[in-house]
Amino acid sequence: MNAAELISLRKEYKNITAVKDVSFTIKDGEVFALLGMNGAGKTTILKMLSCLTKPTKGDALVFGKSIVKEPEKVKELIGISPQENSFAKKLTVEENLRFMCGIYGMDKEKTNKNVEEIIGQFSLSDVRGQMAGKLSGGWQKRLSIAMAIITEPKLLFLDEPTLGLDVMARRDLWKIIESLKGKMSIIITTHYLEESEHLADRIAVVKEGNLKAIGTLSELQQLTGEEKLEEIFLKISE
Amino acid sequence: MKALTFASRNIKEILRDPISWIFCVGFPIVMLALMSVINNSIPPEANMTVFSIESLSPGIMVFGFTFVMLFAALLVSGDRSEAFLLRVFTSPLKPVNYITGYILPLILLAVLQSLVNMTASLIMALVLGKSLDIPMMLLSIIAALPAIIMFVSFGILFGTAFNKNAAPGLCSVIICLSGMMGGIWMDVENIGGTIYDICNALPFYHCVKSARLILGGDIAGGFTESGIVLIWAVIVTLFAVILFKKKIRF
Repeated sequence: MNAAELISLRKEYKNITAVKDVSFTIKDGEVFALLGMNGAGKTTILKMLSCLTKPTKGDALVFGKSIVKEPEKVKELIGISPQENSFAKKLTVEENLRFMCGIYGMDKEKTNKNVEEIIGQFSLSDVRGQMAGKLSGGWQKRLSIAMAIITEPKLLFLDEPTLGLDVMARRDLWKIIESLKGKMSIIITTHYLEESEHLADRIAVVKEGNLKAIGTLSELQQLTGEEKLEEIFLKISE
Repeated sequence: MKALTFASRNIKEILRDPISWIFCVGFPIVMLALMSVINNSIPPEANMTVFSIESLSPGIMVFGFTFVMLFAALLVSGDRSEAFLLRVFTSPLKPVNYITGYILPLILLAVLQSLVNMTASLIMALVLGKSLDIPMMLLSIIAALPAIIMFVSFGILFGTAFNKNAAPGLCSVIICLSGMMGGIWMDVENIGGTIYDICNALPFYHCVKSARLILGGDIAGGFTESGIVLIWAVIVTLFAVILFKKKIRF
């Protein structure tokens, strides 16, 4: 089964059509990068897939569940790490993780198990008792992703996961995202092309709400006749 | 259970904010002391009873709820302005879980504040050589539950409808209205006329009157007033739930 299947997905706001009848599929277990300039419609696609906003037309199926007709079922299958900080600032790292388990209805035993596993996987043990709002940028991003996967989603959305991080922190997060490969399907939106190159199995380029190209890096290379992703991106976005 | 998890997070957020402690513990004590000093300066011939401890204590209890309303508005509008709620909106939580999760801790905060106000009032009454009926004071807190729910729902409504800059401003309007039109700082019954009619049409006067009647021994009268407030509480809460439900999907 596909992780996500977008069927003529469209989103109109008052004066603008942010997403124009976009259709594509995301395979189960793959890391899928969504690239585009600012305002291309990447975040709107993500918001529709995560049931944060209703499509004006069309539908999308997340593991066979409709985002229009069954948003509650879709929500049980997804995890999201938004672009901005998305944790309770006055709760500690551990409390934030426990909070996520609680709102997904996990019992105490499962919560304890998952919290310890995630703290180990994300090397959060040194900061587990610290207030989330007082962590550095890198740790905050790390916590944000940890909160998204502690609920064991089948489809994970990472919206600009390394935005504003230094090189070291970015590389650390890449390692974490790589470690998730195969365990869940991941959709990443990013402005860093080398990030997509490094992490993604397939890449889609959107421009002004339209899907311009989709494929593996080598398929996009063949399509454009360019070698580097930056050149490929620029050629497709022209 | 999911609602309790959300409520637990909200309790921690509130209790870890020093402002909550200042308003919850400090505010009733300061207001009681200040108004009692003012009352002492008013000559008996003025026949002004609003600031006597029997009237002041219920008034300040209700006035305290307006600050709980402000917390509610700040909490909800603050959550909405950050991506935290965005993440929570993608979880299987239902609108009723959110509303319960916001209302429960704020009710708890309002009850705690009322108990602090009661304790401070008892001490103040002792200092002034008066006495207050403790069971009646406790009963007045129970009768105030609809008022608490109404003010908390006002806060959630404003926090949902407006951003974190505008919401506190609208709360200030309610704080002023409840202070004046609730008869906390002025004797609306003696003023009478149109002012009294307006006060009677709004819920704030009934909130204060309920607590004052019960403290004066009129339990039936107090709970009748409380019933009027309950109707307001149901209406405001319904509005808050409908609006929140609408905003949950942008």
